[in-house]
Amino acid sequence: MVKGALIKKSIQDMKKNRSQFLSIFIMAALAIGISVGLDTIWTTIDAHSQNFYQDTNISDFWVAASNPSELNLWRVRNIKGVQKAEKRFTVNNATARIDGKPILRVYAVPSENTLDMSLIMSGKKLSKHGAILDRSFAQANHLSVGDPLTIEVNDKRIDTTIEALALSSENIYAVKDTASMMPDPKGYGFIVIDEDRIASAYGGRKPYNQIEVRLAQGADAAEIQSRMDSIFGKKLNFVMAQTDNRGVNFANAKVIQFRSFATVFPFMFFLVTALITFSTMMRLTEDQRNQIGILKALGYSKKSILWHYTSYGVFVGMAGILVGILFGPNVIGRLLLSKIKNLMTFPVEDMVINISKFLFGASIIMTFTAGISFLSCLKLQNEAPAELLRTKMPKKGRHIFLEHFPHVWNHMKFSQKLTARNAMRNKFRIVVSILGVSGCAGLIIGALALFDLVSGIPKTLYEKTYSYDQKVILDSDTTDRAIRNLNLDGIVQDMEESSVQLTTQEGLRKVTAVSVFSKESPLIHLKDAEGNSVTLPDTGIAMTRKLAELMNVEVGDIVNLKRSSDTYYPVTIMKIVYMPSAQGIYMTDGYWQEIGENFRPTALLVQWNKKDNDFLNSGYITSYTDRTTQKSDFEGNLSAIFGTSLLLIVSGTVLAFVVLYNMGMLNFAERVRDLATLEVLGFHQKEIRPLVLTENIVSTVVGIFLGIPIGKYLAGTIAGGFGDDFDLISRVTPDRILIAAAITLTFAAIVNHIVRKKIKSIDMLQALKSVE
Amino acid sequence: MSFIQFEGVEREYIVGDSVIKAVKEVSFSLEDKSFNVVLGQSGAGKTTVLNMLGGMDSPTKGAITVNGEDISKLGTRELTTYRRDKIGFVFQFYNLVPNLTALENVQLAEEICKNPLDAAEMLERVGLGDRKNNFPGQMSGGEQQRVSIARALAKNPQILLCDEPTGALDSGTGRIVLKLIRDIARDMGKTVVVVTHNAPIAEMADTVIHMRDGQISEIRHTEHPRPVEEIVW
Ligand SMILES: Nc1ncnc2c1ncn2[C@@H]1O[C@H](COP(=O)(O)OP(=O)(O)OP(=O)(O)O)[C@@H](O)[C@H]1O
Ligand SMILES: [Mg+2]
Repeated sequence: MVKGALIKKSIQDMKKNRSQFLSIFIMAALAIGISVGLDTIWTTIDAHSQNFYQDTNISDFWVAASNPSELNLWRVRNIKGVQKAEKRFTVNNATARIDGKPILRVYAVPSENTLDMSLIMSGKKLSKHGAILDRSFAQANHLSVGDPLTIEVNDKRIDTTIEALALSSENIYAVKDTASMMPDPKGYGFIVIDEDRIASAYGGRKPYNQIEVRLAQGADAAEIQSRMDSIFGKKLNFVMAQTDNRGVNFANAKVIQFRSFATVFPFMFFLVTALITFSTMMRLTEDQRNQIGILKALGYSKKSILWHYTSYGVFVGMAGILVGILFGPNVIGRLLLSKIKNLMTFPVEDMVINISKFLFGASIIMTFTAGISFLSCLKLQNEAPAELLRTKMPKKGRHIFLEHFPHVWNHMKFSQKLTARNAMRNKFRIVVSILGVSGCAGLIIGALALFDLVSGIPKTLYEKTYSYDQKVILDSDTTDRAIRNLNLDGIVQDMEESSVQLTTQEGLRKVTAVSVFSKESPLIHLKDAEGNSVTLPDTGIAMTRKLAELMNVEVGDIVNLKRSSDTYYPVTIMKIVYMPSAQGIYMTDGYWQEIGENFRPTALLVQWNKKDNDFLNSGYITSYTDRTTQKSDFEGNLSAIFGTSLLLIVSGTVLAFVVLYNMGMLNFAERVRDLATLEVLGFHQKEIRPLVLTENIVSTVVGIFLGIPIGKYLAGTIAGGFGDDFDLISRVTPDRILIAAAITLTFAAIVNHIVRKKIKSIDMLQALKSVE
Repeated sequence: MSFIQFEGVEREYIVGDSVIKAVKEVSFSLEDKSFNVVLGQSGAGKTTVLNMLGGMDSPTKGAITVNGEDISKLGTRELTTYRRDKIGFVFQFYNLVPNLTALENVQLAEEICKNPLDAAEMLERVGLGDRKNNFPGQMSGGEQQRVSIARALAKNPQILLCDEPTGALDSGTGRIVLKLIRDIARDMGKTVVVVTHNAPIAEMADTVIHMRDGQISEIRHTEHPRPVEEIVW
């Protein structure tokens, strides 16, 4: 019977304080949900990509060299720290002889190779005559195992049969060229054939152009990479580290970005939840003072009373955690991962949950729900039942600082005096509320800033930096003279895009993108971080700010540039330009030739007066994209982050509402008796409302102001956490602050409206019947 | 027509499916500037009657006329105005605002009344002139009740309603408080209604209303009520 009575009491208490319990529940569920949800993104990408790399035995770096000899390979293998070195041939622009002439990247590999294997999803091992085909490509082009496929390499045809469909870890993010941002499985994929099959396209001799290198554990990658120069000499094109592979780089960037989001934002959610839960649980237990006395007097054991009160926190906390762990991965995780799965290919589908972080978050929640109710009940346990039961003297009023200024004090209305004294008496709760509100306002500002950051990148690139209509990728045979002879009607700018290896004086080396174009550059408008135009220097190079930062160089420094057919050439960094995404270097075609390269345009930028469709369909070009397509592809590429920012805006908004609601209700509950007393005296509604509402409004406004620096800090942290490819400048614009303030104030107004109704419905007789 | 008039007043409470008649068919009238006591056992309906008279509750049936105005049909706003202008309330548990000093609690009246009495002066009259700046928490129950009386009277109301004003006090203190109410009310010419289940108090009343089970069992008028000092508790 005894047990039953306590359980009934629990249910009654929970009903009575349901709004408080509900808000704690929502906050706990949000904090856990957001934290685990965002974590799921990066832990899933991380786990899947790492497993993928391991299963396919991905190389630590690749050496691109023209026709490396067996001796070269032997020398690489004999470097201490090199575990394995294998050769292969890759060509990026083969075409499949099927509808649409899609592009294939061909890997021609010796059958004994073990590095960079493709992961076969269906079919059998590669034979001498067959081919392993990109599964996504096959699906998009309705090809399956057993189908014949003819590819065209070096203008020669190679007939194969599809023996297996597979995934490749090097192509985890499969984009065709530098102009594309979105994988296009119908238009681009990879194919693996035996080295013997490719020979026919190259005059019967087996060609090689890559050495794949796997290092032993703990080997000094930089040192080993630097030895490639002496081994390959003039044959060396570049050395590409695993992390510079576009797919690996992309996966890493997503991991870095979401790890940063999953740290910064949940931290705010937990902080706010902890603060609000703390003040609410304290208050609820304090309210139960008399009840605890009664239970003690009735002879309930200390243990059962403690458990009775702790159980409130346990139930609410557990319920929140449970809903959070279900909601986080299944809703947030699934939603955002689905956007990333459009971009990346993984062999497995399942989600990987960050268990340790979840347990950490759950223990924080439990500490602040169960822990606080346990402790505040324990505190009351030490008082004698008689003490607890004694009619509690009215809470002591106290004079406050302001009263020392009679000029101010004596001219205040009673409601203002009372509000001031109440505020001073409940300093702790008010400070906690203000911090809660500031956390929410900061969170909303931060989430808006994240939205601006990601939407700013394509805007900067495709609205300010570039002004072409179309970017045309030229066929490798097309010369600049041929283009000039075409007399295209519009503004035309040709450019060469490739990658070069740079080495700093300190020995830091990096394969980076290089863009070469004329100094006039009518269609590419380089800018510095402040938005001022930058023209290319006549001699020397311009480097993007982030790259300079990563390579630890500045204007005036000299870096060694690896030329395609010779050794290094020292170039001076003359200018720093700002690019929000895609870091690299820029130089004029004149300087490019001066350092000994040929200017061979790879792309043509065109702003048409009259679009020349003949040209766009001619053999001069391999493909073309519109600037608007590039922009929307870029946006698609970042859609998971857009989703995240929207999610955070929404959940920050929900949190703000819960915090404000909870604050309003606590404040109201503390004032009920005063309000009833005044109502009996004959005060009208509008005269007593300020007692509760003023405090709410002031706390909200102060909270919003304190939220601004929090939001700015969040924005700065996020901007810095996008990875090496991105150089983002966090700007919290006044309109974002206004939006956050408007959201928060709107909720404050709604809460005040609810409180107003509650004030109106106070039953003054009931309120005054008992003593507290 | 009397100053206060109850005519067939009923008050029902609906609790779940059942209807509780707290007050049934109550009729009585009280004179202006009279001192009246309502007696009865617990649950008899005394508080309910007082609350309806004070404009804190409305009857479900019947009419309550105060100074010629029927207050039983007033809305919330008008009832508030009625309380504000005409009624002073004293409760068993004082109901002072804990965060206002004694003086400020009394000054509350000044904020809302047309012609309030001076707060400091009222505190002097209840004998608490030197406790003006104390907070309720720093005063004894009797002192708090006196502040509450000062507050009720500072509004300069026509009617002073007291619901068991001595209920939480010892008999000596209770007597002082009652005498205070009686004396001040007489000096100021207020109509007073005191609810109690302490029969001896009735001896100092002009009119005594006995209630039982929500009904009036007896109304007794006294020509010469006894002074408080003579009453044996
Ligand atoms: N809000 C309410 N809801 C339901 N019943 C009520 C309510 N208020 C009073 N009652 C009932 O009405 C009856 C009269 O109550 P009232 O408070 O007027 O009694 P009382 O004479 O003042 O008693 P006491 O001397 O104990 O204060 C009681 O039976 C009580 O249970
Ligand atoms: Mg009563």
